[in-house]
Amino acid sequence: MLNVAFVGKGGAGKSTIAGTMARMLARRGEPVLTIDSDPMPGLSVALGLGTPEAGLPDDATVAEVDGERTTYRLRMTPAESIDAYAATGADGVRYLQFGKLHGHVKSLGRSQAAFRQIIADLPREQWHVIGDLPGGTRQPFFGWGDYADTFVIVVEPNAKGLLSARRLARLAPKGEKRRIVVVVNKAREGDAELVAARTGLEVIAAVPAKEHFRDADRAGVAPLDHLGVVADDPGLDAVRSVLDNLLGKVVVQ
Amino acid sequence: MKIAVVGKGGSGKTTTAAVVARAMARSGRSVVALDCDTNPNLGLSLGLGDAGTDALVTLRDSLDEGTEEHAATWAEIIERFGVDAPDGVRLAVVSRIEEPEPG
Repeated sequence: MLNVAFVGKGGAGKSTIAGTMARMLARRGEPVLTIDSDPMPGLSVALGLGTPEAGLPDDATVAEVDGERTTYRLRMTPAESIDAYAATGADGVRYLQFGKLHGHVKSLGRSQAAFRQIIADLPREQWHVIGDLPGGTRQPFFGWGDYADTFVIVVEPNAKGLLSARRLARLAPKGEKRRIVVVVNKAREGDAELVAARTGLEVIAAVPAKEHFRDADRAGVAPLDHLGVVADDPGLDAVRSVLDNLLGKVVVQ
Repeated sequence: MKIAVVGKGGSGKTTTAAVVARAMARSGRSVVALDCDTNPNLGLSLGLGDAGTDALVTLRDSLDEGTEEHAATWAEIIERFGVDAPDGVRLAVVSRIEEPEPG
């Protein structure tokens, strides 16, 4: 099963690529769970869900009071919690969200506790897990991304994107079972080679800078649902090649 | 005048901030550019280049490592830990994530 998290500079295209790839995998009949801890909307749009309320409600946890200290423990198992609380997006992709602030809320503490317990103990044999982590370098690895064995750094081929990619590769958890790869987004001819040379990282695909994707973005709809995107669109082909690469090299748990 | 530039990732905050900073410096104002992004790229847009941007000592690191009392004023901190960018803009970086630990 895939166990992947997408990282990158803000605006690089993490959410769009992650969501599109998740749907392609689901269309092959596979069970796919997406985990959205990016505070900006994007993944939910790529899944055809718009900007939903798919966070964890307070009653996902039970409060345990011990003197002055209150801890929140997940009421059901992680698998049951996912069944109960994850939204169902296009092509049957399940979608679990944390970190969106809808108006004023007192605290995200309780849903954060629930979310962390779920991602700490994901039912990996049951689901392909595809995560969309916060943009930039501050948040993605502070406990949000530890569940993944493969990190996909989405890089826009410019100076800021390259510098951010090198920082992210430095910060990502390392280990025998971990893999870090790069997908170049908004790429022109030769950009895959440029990014590989300037980051020293493995580039597995380059998604071309195509009007179709930009139009879909502008309209706020998923590339897979946008009328201008045809089945053999080069952008979609590139995302498909990301998926095939990751499936061909699934890290053994 | 104090200006903060905000927006979604990739929308052009850094580029806009850098152009405004240099334009103001060119018109004779004295300008301090503060990069408050934890993935700080403002140096690139101001024209310091790749190595120059990544080598910047961050203000927070400087303050943490100092042994002397925290007597430094805002102006002294900018003077000691900032760098000169083109057109006379003084750039200081507030923090950069070096280790994946909660900060």
